Amino acid sequence: MGRVTRNKMLAILALGAMIGLLLLPIFVSMPALAGGGGAPAAGGPPPDVAAKADKSEAAKVEKGRDVYFKTEGIVSGAPAPKTADNPQFYPRYNFESRVLLWFANQQHLYYGSFVLAVPIFCMIIEFMGIVSKDKAMAKKYDQLAYDFIKISLTAYSLTAILGGILIFTFLTLYPAFFGYLSSIFRPVMHIYALLFVAESGTIYIYYYGWDRMKEGLLKWIHASMSIVLNVIGTVLMFLANSWIGFMMSPAGVDEQGRYLGNIWHVIHTALWNPLNVHRLLGNMAFGGGVVAAYAAYRFLASKTDEERAHYDWMGYIAMAIGVAFLIPLPFAGYWLMREVYAYRQQMGITLMGGLLAWLFIIQATMIGILFLSSNYYLWQAMGRMRGAEKYQRYIKYMVFVLVCGFLIFITPHTMVMTPAELKAMGGQQHPVLGNYGVMSAKNGGINVIITTTVLSFIWYQRGNKVPVVSWAKFGNIFMGCFFGLAYANIIWLAVYGYYIPANVRVGLSVPQVATTLSCLFFMTALNLVMLKGAKQSGPIEWGKISVRSQYALIMLATAFTWMMGLMGYIRSSVRLFWHVNEIMRDNSPWAYTHTTGFAANMISFNVLFFWLTILFVFFLATLGVKKAPAEAKVPVPGRVPEPATH
Amino acid sequence: MDMITSPGFWTTLLLLGVILLVGIVIKKKALLSNTYVAVGISLLIAVAYFHLVDHYLMDMQGLDYWYLFRK
Repeated sequence: MGRVTRNKMLAILALGAMIGLLLLPIFVSMPALAGGGGAPAAGGPPPDVAAKADKSEAAKVEKGRDVYFKTEGIVSGAPAPKTADNPQFYPRYNFESRVLLWFANQQHLYYGSFVLAVPIFCMIIEFMGIVSKDKAMAKKYDQLAYDFIKISLTAYSLTAILGGILIFTFLTLYPAFFGYLSSIFRPVMHIYALLFVAESGTIYIYYYGWDRMKEGLLKWIHASMSIVLNVIGTVLMFLANSWIGFMMSPAGVDEQGRYLGNIWHVIHTALWNPLNVHRLLGNMAFGGGVVAAYAAYRFLASKTDEERAHYDWMGYIAMAIGVAFLIPLPFAGYWLMREVYAYRQQMGITLMGGLLAWLFIIQATMIGILFLSSNYYLWQAMGRMRGAEKYQRYIKYMVFVLVCGFLIFITPHTMVMTPAELKAMGGQQHPVLGNYGVMSAKNGGINVIITTTVLSFIWYQRGNKVPVVSWAKFGNIFMGCFFGLAYANIIWLAVYGYYIPANVRVGLSVPQVATTLSCLFFMTALNLVMLKGAKQSGPIEWGKISVRSQYALIMLATAFTWMMGLMGYIRSSVRLFWHVNEIMRDNSPWAYTHTTGFAANMISFNVLFFWLTILFVFFLATLGVKKAPAEAKVPVPGRVPEPATH
Repeated sequence: MDMITSPGFWTTLLLLGVILLVGIVIKKKALLSNTYVAVGISLLIAVAYFHLVDHYLMDMQGLDYWYLFRK
């Protein structure tokens, strides 16, 4: 048997084993699911077993009504524990338990998000490498995908360690709550654990098999492994999301918190799908930001032009992927908030109009910083293209538009004031400020920012190219008119909102979003068609970019990290004094909402800790540089003219 | 006013813009390079398109985009 044939056999066996591992949890859990999902009741035999043993008791089976789906189900679990402020329910060190849990949870989430996002990048980039007709570019893509997975591998171990720390923190500090939650989710807890095993196996084969599976069919099998890896990762994330979805908007239990035998109801809560979409996009944007920061770090530390060129390119690709997912992120967030309002109006008001509203102002500031940094990076990146100078004179106008959008976006409707200030002003509404900060105006601000980012990206794509299609003049004019009218429409809708009642105004955000998305999809597509066979005014000189641009990438990643911490805190603290909203009350001494200042300090600490540890991960990744795949040396972009496909 | 608030009016404008564009492409492509023609057709298509977006996306939510104009 030849070496290649043996490799193919081994690859097929590995893939089969992975698929087997993927399906194993489903087979394992089938009897339990078929029998009504098993009993999540803490202590005692499963109800279906008990029912068989005692038929007379089964006749008296108790039924409950689902708090969300309003369906009837057989009570199959114990009620949610009624806790009290004592060490039995809340064992403690001489420190605030919630802060410890916050820290453990946040670090696990950071790393979890990163290791879920990066394999998706690898999948996309490896595929781009396979289908690329240019062999030099194909090798570059392959090397890039390998670099990505190399970083995520060390991070993967840390994620697992942090997951262990998180579980121990739950068990030691919140045993009653954790016991209840794990009893509710018992039918899927082992599926989660087994999926984790399957993911670990897949990622290691994927990484260590890179060199051996680099050609022909084996390469396709290798690439298909990344699909398996990402399917497992995404299912893992969806399962984890179901826990927080249950805590915010419980379903599948009665009003006492007793499980009603339908695990799908417990998983598929009102907020599960919006959370899934929001987290998936958020993870991708965050992962892109972190990899871009890694590339920036390597760029700044590079000693040769070759290295600088590679890491400049890597940073650009990571940033482009990150921003591609950042653009739809506010819309996913909008959907999540809409569903929160639909589920419990009071919860929505607490979030955006009450106790936590000021955190949303901070969030708006962070979103603005993200987009400003992305635009700044793109403008700097135009500096490495010959021919992009023609756009430089327009940048000042874009800055003006972005700053106007940003200022409108962060303007609050009301101010936090002392009673004396309130009295002096004559009420909650500021005479000037009170007119601003309403949603239609804020939506106008953010949509202007996003549309400008799309425009920056389109200009970047055109930087060193001149369209040669016969209808180029019409295309340019059409694009200009479309963008101009898109801005006009967004601003018009923002102003129009002031003249119509609130119940009509609330709907204006949808056409505003659609206007922005129209620019994103139609104009990007039009631009790509126009650039087909375009004349190049010069190659992209990778590596010849300002150092400032790399700090913009680091800024982008830091802002992502900070915003993730902030939004996680907001989402979690909206439950106020509930472990599980309206089902299980939090009676610990820490069941209050922290001040904005404390929360900001805590988020900053989490961000700092994450970046210190991820720098260590980056350092570890540099130690293995010599183990890069053979024959994958990167050509020196900028020196050798190459197709500028980006 | 009734005419402006009718989606049919904007759909007609959009179709008119598209038909004009297609007609020029088929019959006299060189006209596409004429700035006035290009601006005219682009504005016609874009204005009609955004009005339709505004109208239908509000309508889908059970809301009236033309609320102020009807009052």
